[in-house]
Amino acid sequence: MAVKFDLNEREVWDGNYAASQALRQADVDVVVAYPITPSTPIVENYGSYVANGYIDGEFVMVESEHAAMSGCIGASASGGRVSTATSSQGFALMAEVLYQASGMRLPIVLNVVNRALASPLNVRGDHADMYLGRDSGWLQAGAFNAQEAYDLALCAFKIAEDPAVRLPMMIHQDGFITSHTAQNVYPLTDEAAINFVGKIQPIDDMLDFSRPVTYGAQTEEDWHFEHKAKQHKAIMDSKPVIDAVFAEFKELTGREYNRVESYDMEDADVVIMGLGTTVETARVAAKNMREKGIKAGVVAMRCFRPFPYEEVREALKNCKAIAVTDRSSPGGAMGAFFNEVTAAMYTSNNRPMMTNFIYGLGGRDFSIAEAERIYSEQVDNIEAGHITTNIQQFSGLRGPKLGFFKTERS
Amino acid sequence: MSVEAQELDLLANDNRGKHQLEAGFDLLGWDEVTQGSVLASFEGDASDISLKKSEERAYSNFNSYTATVASWRVIKPVYNRDICIDCQNCWVWCPDTSIISRDKQMLGIDYDHCKGCGVCVEVCPTNPKSLLMFGEHTDLGESLADWPEKKKKEKK
Amino acid sequence: MTEIRWHSRAGQGAVSGAKGLGDVVATTGKEVQAFALYGSAKRGAALRAYNRISDEQIFNHAKFMNPDFVLVIDPALAFTDNIEVNEKESTQYIITTHLSKEELIEGIPALKGKEDRIFTVDCVQISLDTIGRSIPNAPMLGAFVKISGMFELDYFLENMARVLAKFPQKIIDGNMKAITRAYNEVK
Repeated sequence: MAVKFDLNEREVWDGNYAASQALRQADVDVVVAYPITPSTPIVENYGSYVANGYIDGEFVMVESEHAAMSGCIGASASGGRVSTATSSQGFALMAEVLYQASGMRLPIVLNVVNRALASPLNVRGDHADMYLGRDSGWLQAGAFNAQEAYDLALCAFKIAEDPAVRLPMMIHQDGFITSHTAQNVYPLTDEAAINFVGKIQPIDDMLDFSRPVTYGAQTEEDWHFEHKAKQHKAIMDSKPVIDAVFAEFKELTGREYNRVESYDMEDADVVIMGLGTTVETARVAAKNMREKGIKAGVVAMRCFRPFPYEEVREALKNCKAIAVTDRSSPGGAMGAFFNEVTAAMYTSNNRPMMTNFIYGLGGRDFSIAEAERIYSEQVDNIEAGHITTNIQQFSGLRGPKLGFFKTERS
Repeated sequence: MSVEAQELDLLANDNRGKHQLEAGFDLLGWDEVTQGSVLASFEGDASDISLKKSEERAYSNFNSYTATVASWRVIKPVYNRDICIDCQNCWVWCPDTSIISRDKQMLGIDYDHCKGCGVCVEVCPTNPKSLLMFGEHTDLGESLADWPEKKKKEKK
Repeated sequence: MTEIRWHSRAGQGAVSGAKGLGDVVATTGKEVQAFALYGSAKRGAALRAYNRISDEQIFNHAKFMNPDFVLVIDPALAFTDNIEVNEKESTQYIITTHLSKEELIEGIPALKGKEDRIFTVDCVQISLDTIGRSIPNAPMLGAFVKISGMFELDYFLENMARVLAKFPQKIIDGNMKAITRAYNEVK
């Protein structure tokens, strides 16, 4: 029987501590981990909860992130509730095994504390690692602050383990900006948290000796495609389950989550679309713009996978100019987020002007003033009737203005 | 052991090697394949499976037990009970668990799963060998009749 | 919204100070934010820590701020770091130093003409006397409580003792003394 952990109704936690408390309250059976900045405290704290008797679980320290996710697969295939955390290079080393976990339909919850990928070496927050995982077959949801890192981690177990879903899920938070920023967090009681998350219902677990199973079968061209199609459909079909879990969470806490979040969007002409903490900073800028008479709004991605095409199109159906922000070096293309939003909007009736801002790489600060400047540029585009700048621009960068790709529409 | 006992269904149930490896299944659609490509080894409750002999087990269609690779073979090992000393070398070395042995007594070959690699012959220590490779279509009785004599050590 | 910027060296406790302050502020029902910007994460390297305090949920995640308070807990950083960067006309400075206010301003041209917004206290000496080590974060909190008028001293001490509960009683007592002394000595 685990020792009781004293919690206050209102805590001041950073994102890492908040996520680790969610792992404790969800009664995670196994954490297999290898530490990396800035995600280390999540698994370190879980280890200390085990050592101090606050949780009946296993903490397994391994030799690499590749081994960490491999261990998670073993524990999850055995029927346990399993979680770990990583960032950046660790995430990259884990990448091969991420596909194994999702292909085997194992409901592991991975807390990803987003950080730039070297080189040059950088420990701070951007979304390079999150983007690296976008085709890995995992569900991906993002927190914009520490409270959400906690809330979404709890929701993640319930979503991932739902028999209708049975897919691994990543919960993202911005390195340092969320992970190391202490803010007011209002936790659930242990009892309320575990009642919400519930018990894991093992499916095809290897410790069921009445039904021995093989994991990791080889499938060549005659079978592989069907299995991947089934997996893709499961990801697409997870949307109603995610919505139902969010609804139940709102019932319990009053805190509302949607796969696409809209702020000040009732009558917005100009929009910033973002991921992570940028969303909240942009919300402040939108308020400021509205004081100046500009109808500005923010549309944010809560769920990056499955990508909510219908909801994005619905949220943006009345706006005229949209700035999609990508916090990851695009490597010779438009930003990935821009490409996806643009794909959603191509078949819309309003066909708004779409521009792409690459910003905040390696933890470069994203200020309210910068968000206001982006809004102003969208207003200029509306007045001109076409995109007056390059479609892709780098924002907050030193040196000559950098941008690529021009519109043919005028 | 008689020639007759060395038949294809030696200690086998009706499911052993019932389908060709490549053609055992209907090619199912995406909506019919198993979740996570997880495959169950047995039909029904397998709680006491470790207490059962292979011929008593309800192997599933996904288990290699029910598939045969006999057609891959162009030469086959033939077993000669009269010479065998039950050392189990062949049983240990066979890469396809196709040597059938019970209570440490060698019984014969599982021709559903043997691919004719010849490892069992290589590792057989008797003189002459108790296992020898013959053409796939050679009659068993003829093979045993043609068995070589003991080789004498050549004096130097 | 009240915004605070700490100037410190790694190891002097600005991050803990900012988080401790956040912890106490939260007990009053306000929303808080506490974070740090490390350069090289080595002991002695200059770093900045930040607090935001508001009656409403804090959405701004930018490091950029026009601080209401600048808290300098390392005496040398007052001279070498740009402590006045992004200041407002109302920004108040609390600077740890063994110098008098006049001597300090004499040495830092950027502070000239801001005499009524500058407060000094010797956090290093106070922490050496009360805690036994140069951990100037606790005294700075005491000085901040006085200058900001944000809390009654007793309320702050009581809640700070709760934040420090995991430490040995001797350390807690030292911190309480340090906070109280700086509260009384800041000028």
